[in-house]
Amino acid sequence: MKLKFSGKRILILGGSCEPAVFLAEYTIKAGLFPILTYRNEKGLKKISKKLYSFAGKYESVFLDFADTTSLDSMFCRINDDLDFLVDFAHGNMESLVASANEDDICRYFAENISFRAKILKRAGRVMLKKRNGRLVFVSSSAASRPNLGQGFYAAAKLASEALYKNLGLELGCRGITTVTLRPGYIDSGRGRRYMQTHERETCNITPIKRLLTCKEVAETILFFLSDSACGFNATEISMDGGLIAGK
Amino acid sequence: MDIFGNIKKILVELLDIKEEKITPETYIIRELGAESIDFLELAVALNSRFKIEIDDDKIFLEKLRLYLSEAEQENKDAISYLAEKFPFLSVERIKDIAADLDEGPVLKVKDIISYISWRQGFV
Repeated sequence: MKLKFSGKRILILGGSCEPAVFLAEYTIKAGLFPILTYRNEKGLKKISKKLYSFAGKYESVFLDFADTTSLDSMFCRINDDLDFLVDFAHGNMESLVASANEDDICRYFAENISFRAKILKRAGRVMLKKRNGRLVFVSSSAASRPNLGQGFYAAAKLASEALYKNLGLELGCRGITTVTLRPGYIDSGRGRRYMQTHERETCNITPIKRLLTCKEVAETILFFLSDSACGFNATEISMDGGLIAGK
Repeated sequence: MDIFGNIKKILVELLDIKEEKITPETYIIRELGAESIDFLELAVALNSRFKIEIDDDKIFLEKLRLYLSEAEQENKDAISYLAEKFPFLSVERIKDIAADLDEGPVLKVKDIISYISWRQGFV
């Protein structure tokens, strides 16, 4: 099946993580123009290194969820022209709820919920001008089944899911739709680190007995961005190899 | 095109209505049937057309009833309080609004004109 896309410019938040770079590559090959965000030099270098053969076919732009001015400059840089948004960005906070530092709690929610709400407000308004837009939020199976210590992470993911869901509810009638993907353990970043110490138990509870690959996640997101997937709106889809289906 | 002409053009496009239906005295919700999504699009269109930041709460008088309730709770004069919150509206207009509240949503096309003029520094 050849996928068709209504639009060209795709903003990829958290653009330096592995699945994001895979997605960027796929979107370029599909004729789209990805704009990947990074929050430090390390991230920028990672993007440049992985996409070196696609120079001129993508952009990278600075965005730090702790820095409001970076939001203004990002939207200025993308010139209020946006058709798609894929959101991989999410800070980690591992702590038991009853032992978390109170300042960290406020900072974490400000960065991972409030800041994201501001992004969605701006992106929604930009897309409204075209009456066209598609947004995919990459959540996590931890949103519905967190491990111990993932209370804040899960809370921020659930709150963010709610923002995306409502955007799709509110602007669906104007051609702007959203979908949330909840991947399980991915062979990348946080999932890979977790697996180094929990491989056996994780595989035991996952029916497909393996991690998801970045390629699988990126391909799925590409499908969700396509015209074929527009019927998915304001909803959450699990992609976890069956992880949360059983007891 | 003047401010009113531009606003009229935007409303005609957004609400799919005839130009003749729109005057500065037209009620945007009561008469034109605008809904919240229309206001969001109107804000985006005004921002694009006039190149000014639009404060949705202010321009569409969204917190009008909340401010009235605050004024009552704090024993403040309602008209002066509203004039503080909506500096683009004249005192006469605020008095009209206060007298008109029981009839339904009070926002008129001329309130949008006032906001744009105020943001452009003409008031």
